[in-house]
Amino acid sequence: MALFLYLHFPALQLDHLQQSAENSPQLPIALVDQQHQLMQLNQLALNAGLKLQMGLASAAALCPDLQLLPYRPAQQLKVLNNVAQQLYQLSSDIALDPPAGLFLRLDGMLQLYRGLRPYWQQLSAKLNKLNYRYLYSCGATPYAAKCLAKQQAALISSDTKQLSAALHASPLHATELAEPLQQQMARLGIDTLGQLLAIAPGELARRFDSQLLSYLGRLRGDYYHALDYLQPEPGFSRYLELLYDISDSTVLVRPLEKLLQQLEQQLGRANCQCHQLLLTLFFRDNPPLQLCIGSAQGEYKAAAWLELCQLQLQNLPLPEPVYGLQLDVNRFAGQQRPTEGLFQQQHARMSALQLLSILQARLGSAAVSGLTIQNQHLPEQASQRSLPLVKGDSAKGQAAPAAFALRPAFLLSNPQPLTEPVTISQGPERICADGWQLAAQRDYYIGRNRQGQWLWLYRNARQQWFVHGWFS
Amino acid sequence: MSALLDQLARRQLVWHGDSQQLAYQAVSSGYPELDQQLAGGLPLTGLIDMQSEAGIGELRLLLPYLLQQQQQSQRLLVFIAPPAELSADMLAGAGLDLSQLLIVTPAPERSASKPAGYNTKATQRRAAKKLTPKQEALWAAEQCLQSGCCACVLLWPAAISLAQARRLQLAAEQGAASMVLFRNLSQTLSLPVNLSLSLQADRHGLQITVLKRKGSWPAAPFLVDMQRRWPALCLADAAAEPMRQAG
Repeated sequence: MALFLYLHFPALQLDHLQQSAENSPQLPIALVDQQHQLMQLNQLALNAGLKLQMGLASAAALCPDLQLLPYRPAQQLKVLNNVAQQLYQLSSDIALDPPAGLFLRLDGMLQLYRGLRPYWQQLSAKLNKLNYRYLYSCGATPYAAKCLAKQQAALISSDTKQLSAALHASPLHATELAEPLQQQMARLGIDTLGQLLAIAPGELARRFDSQLLSYLGRLRGDYYHALDYLQPEPGFSRYLELLYDISDSTVLVRPLEKLLQQLEQQLGRANCQCHQLLLTLFFRDNPPLQLCIGSAQGEYKAAAWLELCQLQLQNLPLPEPVYGLQLDVNRFAGQQRPTEGLFQQQHARMSALQLLSILQARLGSAAVSGLTIQNQHLPEQASQRSLPLVKGDSAKGQAAPAAFALRPAFLLSNPQPLTEPVTISQGPERICADGWQLAAQRDYYIGRNRQGQWLWLYRNARQQWFVHGWFS
Repeated sequence: MSALLDQLARRQLVWHGDSQQLAYQAVSSGYPELDQQLAGGLPLTGLIDMQSEAGIGELRLLLPYLLQQQQQSQRLLVFIAPPAELSADMLAGAGLDLSQLLIVTPAPERSASKPAGYNTKATQRRAAKKLTPKQEALWAAEQCLQSGCCACVLLWPAAISLAQARRLQLAAEQGAASMVLFRNLSQTLSLPVNLSLSLQADRHGLQITVLKRKGSWPAAPFLVDMQRRWPALCLADAAAEPMRQAG
């Protein structure tokens, strides 16, 4: 027999908002939709006597210091998805029921948890930790569970008789039936689901449309109810709306830490790490700013990522205050630990790749580079800045180009005209860029000036002398 | 008499002139004359201050030391803010492993472009927070030294203060790394370093004065002969070859 659990979150967006602002002053808050109806209320607002679907005018009369915020279905869906992802760690078949519900299919999980009670113990512990208000109930079908949950039945049982008795006693306003249909039923004298279910489907089909029949069929379990079960997301994507705009980039670290801790949890569960974070800062007028924070070694710890983010945020000028943060990770990679010698005397505080990430985060990736030797004729092309800490050709089995030992240590990127007398000690060495371009040929000499500095000079085809570098 | 001396010596009240205990662990510099004068060689960790003109052989003097540092510990060599482009030919020719080498060049000061709507106070505050390239170079040096994965850091500072040098020395001790500061001759400020050398160009190599060495007396300047290692970069005897003049 199939068994379903329905979780209903009456004030998901509001609870989420309040969580991110733990230490703000306590005020009654309500979410209002486009029609100026109250959609969600916090505890203080409920205490003041406000009710859902109340108009703004009566709400303001009852509670003068009520704070109003717009109800955003898209944001609520994100939070709901987030909750589902968290619960996915405990329960496999979860389907979203927007705007504020989750279907959980239990019959598969009972085997794993050895019964309903241990399962509910785990699940409710997790739910309480999430700290959103919720209503719940079991049911033989998804709609039955939903109907019972809406009435705060809080039934955790697989007893068919108990469930169906509760279902038959439920009033019609807890069902999915449309408002006009409910009124029609009330006029017919049908107040509970039991009365409705007692009528033969043939009779109902004559007077009502097919929607009612399909609903009742699914409620009873006669019709197949297809649920779109959640698949775990491959990456990580969280959005955090800030309670107040932040204009100092160093203050951004606080809310960011929360996001990073969530990331650490998810990475820890999957035994993964990641190499790159995408941090998007949202502004009211300017287009969002996207930062790419990389770690060459790969990290999963929030503290390590926070340090890298801090370095990048420190020298970031914000054009205007930030109102939201989004953290995305597109790819997870498996965790790898570097192996260290057991008897090594010096224990490095970090690995070379970690050092590299720190330097790049602060100075920019262009400021840190490696050096490779190229098989090129011209001296300025022979040594090239490359990606740091990348093994050269020699590691791949190819022979590295032979190096000229008698080359200056420092090369000027723009050769300077020679302005002082020098003593030539060696030369010439003719270097011609392209064999046919005789005008570009250079004759290189090694010279020493009066101060004893060893210069690398060349004379071009027009007999002009330049300093190209110095032997250090 | 000797019993009394013994007693005093045990309580460390008598200072022996001949006990030349090194304040640091030394490794060979690759030049016997230098090793002899420095009683063993260059320090394995800590700061080395090199005061010299650019281009007289200051890096060539260090090459055997750098090679040894890199090979022995399989750690990184970091060049911070070099005065010009480094040549891979020369470094690879000296035997250094280029894949274990980092170059850090703090970007020159970007011109502050102000988007519209900036208020000046916030801009000033941000400007104060932004580090100059010189500060960035020192910051990078400190990070590298502390990390414990760098064998030697070479820094070309524009100027360095006592406090900064002290910080770098502590960082170097923490990460068991060594650091070479290349300074101009004009900067005479004495720094808290393990070893301070002043280099002068010479026909056959370098004239070296040990300005300061932890736990030792100052000595007379001496010559390091580079004719064997770098014959092309030393002047032969004047009679041997006629010199050509250019320029």
